[in-house]
Amino acid sequence: MSEIAWRSARGVRSIVIVGGGTAGWMAAAALARVLTGTPCTIAVAESGMPAAAGVGEGTIPNLREFHGFLELDERDFLNAAHATFKLGTRFRDWGTIGRRFLHPFGPYGVDVQHELFQAQWLKRQKAGHPSPLEEWSVTGLAATLGRFAERPVKEPSPLRHLSHAYHLDEALYATFLRSYAEKRGVVRLSGEVIDATLDGRGLIESVRLRDGRCISGDFFIDCSEAGLLIEGRLNSGFRDWARWLPCDRAVAIPCARSGDPAVITESTARRCGWQWRIPLRHRIGNGYVYSSAHLCDDEAAARLLESLESPPLADPRLLRFKAGCRARAWVGNCLALGPAAVSLEPLESTGFHLTQTGLGRLFPLFPDRDFDPAVTAEYNRLTALEHEHVRDFLILHYVASKRDDSLFWRDCRAMSPPRTLAYKRDLFTKTGRIAMLEEETFAAASWLAIYAGLEVWPERHEPSVDILGSSAISERFEVMRGIIRTAVEALPRSA
Amino acid sequence: MSGSAIRRIVIVGGGSTGWMAAAALSAVVGRRVQEIVLIESSEIGTIGVGEATLPTLRAFNGTLGIDEIEFIRKTQATFKLGIEFRGWNPQRTFFHGFSDFGPDLRGVSPHQLWLRTRAAGDDRSYADYSISTVAARLGRFAPPIPDRGSVLGSYSYAFQFDATAYAAYLRVFAERRGVRRIEGRIVDVRLRPDDGFVEAVLLQGDQAVGGDLFIDCSGFAALLIERTLHAGFEDWSKWLPCDRALAVACARTAESAPFTSSIAHQAGWQWRIPLQHRTGNGHVFCSSFIGEEEAARTLLANLDGEALAAPRLLKFTAGRRRESWKRNCVALGLAAGFLEPLESTSIHLVESAIGRLIELFPDRGFEPKLAEEYNRLIARSYEAIRDFIILHYHASGREGELWRYCRNMPIPEGLRHQIELFEAGGVVAVYDSGAFAEPSWVSLYFGLGVFPRRHDPMANLIEDAVLSGELQRRARIVEGAAHSLPTHGAFIGKYCRAAA
Repeated sequence: MSEIAWRSARGVRSIVIVGGGTAGWMAAAALARVLTGTPCTIAVAESGMPAAAGVGEGTIPNLREFHGFLELDERDFLNAAHATFKLGTRFRDWGTIGRRFLHPFGPYGVDVQHELFQAQWLKRQKAGHPSPLEEWSVTGLAATLGRFAERPVKEPSPLRHLSHAYHLDEALYATFLRSYAEKRGVVRLSGEVIDATLDGRGLIESVRLRDGRCISGDFFIDCSEAGLLIEGRLNSGFRDWARWLPCDRAVAIPCARSGDPAVITESTARRCGWQWRIPLRHRIGNGYVYSSAHLCDDEAAARLLESLESPPLADPRLLRFKAGCRARAWVGNCLALGPAAVSLEPLESTGFHLTQTGLGRLFPLFPDRDFDPAVTAEYNRLTALEHEHVRDFLILHYVASKRDDSLFWRDCRAMSPPRTLAYKRDLFTKTGRIAMLEEETFAAASWLAIYAGLEVWPERHEPSVDILGSSAISERFEVMRGIIRTAVEALPRSA
Repeated sequence: MSGSAIRRIVIVGGGSTGWMAAAALSAVVGRRVQEIVLIESSEIGTIGVGEATLPTLRAFNGTLGIDEIEFIRKTQATFKLGIEFRGWNPQRTFFHGFSDFGPDLRGVSPHQLWLRTRAAGDDRSYADYSISTVAARLGRFAPPIPDRGSVLGSYSYAFQFDATAYAAYLRVFAERRGVRRIEGRIVDVRLRPDDGFVEAVLLQGDQAVGGDLFIDCSGFAALLIERTLHAGFEDWSKWLPCDRALAVACARTAESAPFTSSIAHQAGWQWRIPLQHRTGNGHVFCSSFIGEEEAARTLLANLDGEALAAPRLLKFTAGRRRESWKRNCVALGLAAGFLEPLESTSIHLVESAIGRLIELFPDRGFEPKLAEEYNRLIARSYEAIRDFIILHYHASGREGELWRYCRNMPIPEGLRHQIELFEAGGVVAVYDSGAFAEPSWVSLYFGLGVFPRRHDPMANLIEDAVLSGELQRRARIVEGAAHSLPTHGAFIGKYCRAAA
C-alpha cells in the first residue's frame, strides 16, 4: 500500500504484543495485515527461549476464515504447520463406558432447516426408527467412512455441506505466522517481559524486559500465559469456573504415527478426565486432561503412557491451567487475547477460535488513544457472552455424563450447572428445543450432537413437528439419507 | 398425532390481530386441530385507522400464500419505503428508510466511510447513499429487483393500509379454511378449578365456548390474560410518557407518498399515513403536557385535506404483559403490550408473536418451559423496539416540556450503552435485529444529530482518492437508480389501484 496518512491525530501509533505463542502471532499477523502502510508500528516481545514442539492442537472450521482474511495459501499453511484435515471429534466413553459418538462440523441434512431436521430425527428416534445422527451429516458420514476432498463444492451438491478444520502443531503454526508478520514489518523483540509502568490515567506506558530494555507503546495486547499485564498490572479480575470444569492439568506425550492420519480428533473419557488424540502429519499428539484433585500427576502420565498406540517420541510434558476467564478482557489500553483472556480445556478445540473472534471484535471497535470506556465495555460485553456460552457447552459434556465409575464423574454429575446451561438443558429435555442466545459459538447442530451423544433426550417430541410440514419432511427424510450417502461415497478416501 | 394434541383453539377478539392469528393458524395448524373459532362482537369497534407496517409483513402474507396485488387492492394499500421525520431534529427533516447506506468497503461500514469524508470537509448528506431515501424524496416506487448486488435490489418495502379492510380480507381467508366465527360479547371466563387454566369463555346469552388453547386478541381489555389470569403489566411510561392518541382520516389531496410521515409537535407527534383513497392521521401526545382539546386543534390544523370525521380518542400506557403466554392463554397485539406507532411496529409484533407461537406450538400438556422460552423471546423483541423508540425522544433536540423531560430522563441501561458506544466511535450495538438492524439505528442517530466523536480508524486506511471516488460513484448510482423508478402513483395506477 502506498503513502497513507494515519490521519486521526489521536490514532494508535504503536502496538506492543506481549508474549508470542499462537495468540501473540495470530494477533501480530492480523494487525499487520490491516495496518501495513500506516505509521503504526507493531512489536512482539517474547522470551528468547526456543519454542517447545507443539502438543497438537485441534481447530474448528472458522479458522479458514482467518486464513482467508490473511490471504494465506492453504498448501503453505498445511506444510508449515504439519497440519492434517479434521472433520470433527469422536467421543468415546463419555456418556457411558463403551459408547461412542461423533461431533461433526457442518449441518445435519441437506437443504433443511435445522429445527425441522432435529424435530423429525428426535421423533423417529422415539418412534422406534433410530439412526445414528452422524449419518445425517455430510461431514459426519465422510469422517466415519474416511472420505474427504478439500475442494469447496458449489451448489447444488450436498457436498457443499462438507466442512473441515485442521489438526496442527501449534508451535510450528506460531512460527509460520511469525514469518508472515515479520514480512509485513512486525518487529520481534527477544526478551521476557517482567514488568510494566502505568501513566497518570492508569494506562500502560511501557513494558520492561528482563535485560532492562523499556518498550513503550500506545496499545498493548497481552498474550502472556498468565495475564502479566491485564491481571498483573491492571487487576482485571478472574472469573473462576473450576467448580464446573474441575480439570486443571494436562499431560501431553507425542507418539509415532502409524498409518495414515485420521480426519478426526479423538476424545476418550477416562476415570479422572479425558484423553485427546490428535493426528498430525509427522506424529500423533496425545494428552490426558485431568483434575489434580482426583488424580496425581505421575499417575496421569503413567495412564497416558500405557495407552499410547506407538512408542512415545518425547517425555511427558505437564501443563497447568485453571478454567475461567478474565472479568474484563480489555482494560484501558490493554487487550488480553489467548490464555490471558480465557482459559478453557481443549475439549471442543476452541483455543484458537476464541483468539480469532477476539481479533474479529477488535477491528470494528478499534481504539484511538482516548480508549473510550464505552468501546471497551462493548468489547467486554460481547466477549463475556461468548465465553460463557462456550463454557456452558463444555460443562454439558461433563454434567450430562452418566458415568459413576469414579469420584471424578460422580462429582461432575452432582454439580449444579450455571443458570444459562440449566435453562438450555431443561428446555431441551422438556420440549426438544435448543435455545440459542446472543453470541453463541456452537450452532444448534453441535448442541444436538452432544445431547444425543450423551443420551440426553427430550421427554416428548415437539408438538410443532406434527404441524410444521411433517408430511413433507417425513417423506423426504429417508431420501435425504440416501442422497448424503451417495454423495459421500463418491468422495476419495481421506488419506 | 399425539394423544394430547390441541383440539380446539379459541381466538378471543377479531380486528387485524385476531384475524391475523386466525388466518395464520388455520393455514399452518388448521388440519391438525379439530376446530379454530374466533369470537368477536360487531358492537366493539376495532382500533385500526391507517396502519403502517414493516417489510416483515410481506413474509407473513407470503407464508399464507396471499396474492400481493389482490391484497393491495382490497386494503387500499400504498407502498412504504420508510418514515420521514419532521421536526424531531429542529435543524432538518430526516428519513428512516428500508435500505442501508451501501456496502462495506474493506470491512468498514458505510456510515464510517461517510463519517471520514465528513471529517475531511465533504458536506454530502449520508442520505444520498440510501436508495430508499432518495426514491422516497422523489415520490418514486417500484418493487426491488431480485438482484441483491444491484442498488435496485438492495432495498425493501412495506405497506400502508386500512387495517380494518385487512382484517376483513383475512377473515374471508380464514373462514375459507374452516375458521368458525362466533358473533358475541364475552361476559365471563370460566377457569378449570384444579389448575386455573381457561376452560371456556361465556358469551352473552349463556353460550359457553370451550377450548384447549385460548388466544387473547381482546385489545387493551386483555380479557383473558390480565383480567382473568393476572399476568401482570410492565409499565414503561416513565420512558415513553405519551398516553393518548387522536386519530382522524382526511381526504387525499395529492398523489399518495410512498412513505409515512412523523411530525413532532409540542407535546407529542403526528402520523400521516397515505392510503390509496384517503390519508390516516393521528396525534400521539402526553396528557400531562397538553389537553385533549388543544391536541385535537393541533391535529386538525395539520391535515393535508378535509377531515372525514371527528377525531377519535385512544388512551394507552406503554408497556408489556409480563407473561404474554400464561397457562393455556397466549395474548397477541394490544393485549400483549403497547408501543406507540412511531416506528410502525404493532403489526410486526403480532406477526412475530404468531410465528413464535407456531414454532413453540404446545400440546395439551402446556409444558411451562415452552411458555418460558416464548416469553423470553417476546420480551427481547419488545424491549429492543422500546429502546429504539425511546431513542427518538431522548436524542431529539426539540424544545418543550415533554422534550426536555425525555432528554433528561434516565433511560434503560442497554440503550444508554448503545448511545455511548455510538457517540464514542460510531459503533452500533444491536441486541435484537428482528425489527431494526444497524442501518435503522444509524438513520436515527444521524437524523437526530447524534454524531460520534471520532470515526473508525480503519476507515483511515483507505486512500483519499479511492474513498471519495467510490462514494461519488455510489451517490451517482443511487441518484440514477431512483430516477429510473416510476412515480408511486403511476406504479399503483398501473398494477394495483383499488376499486373506488
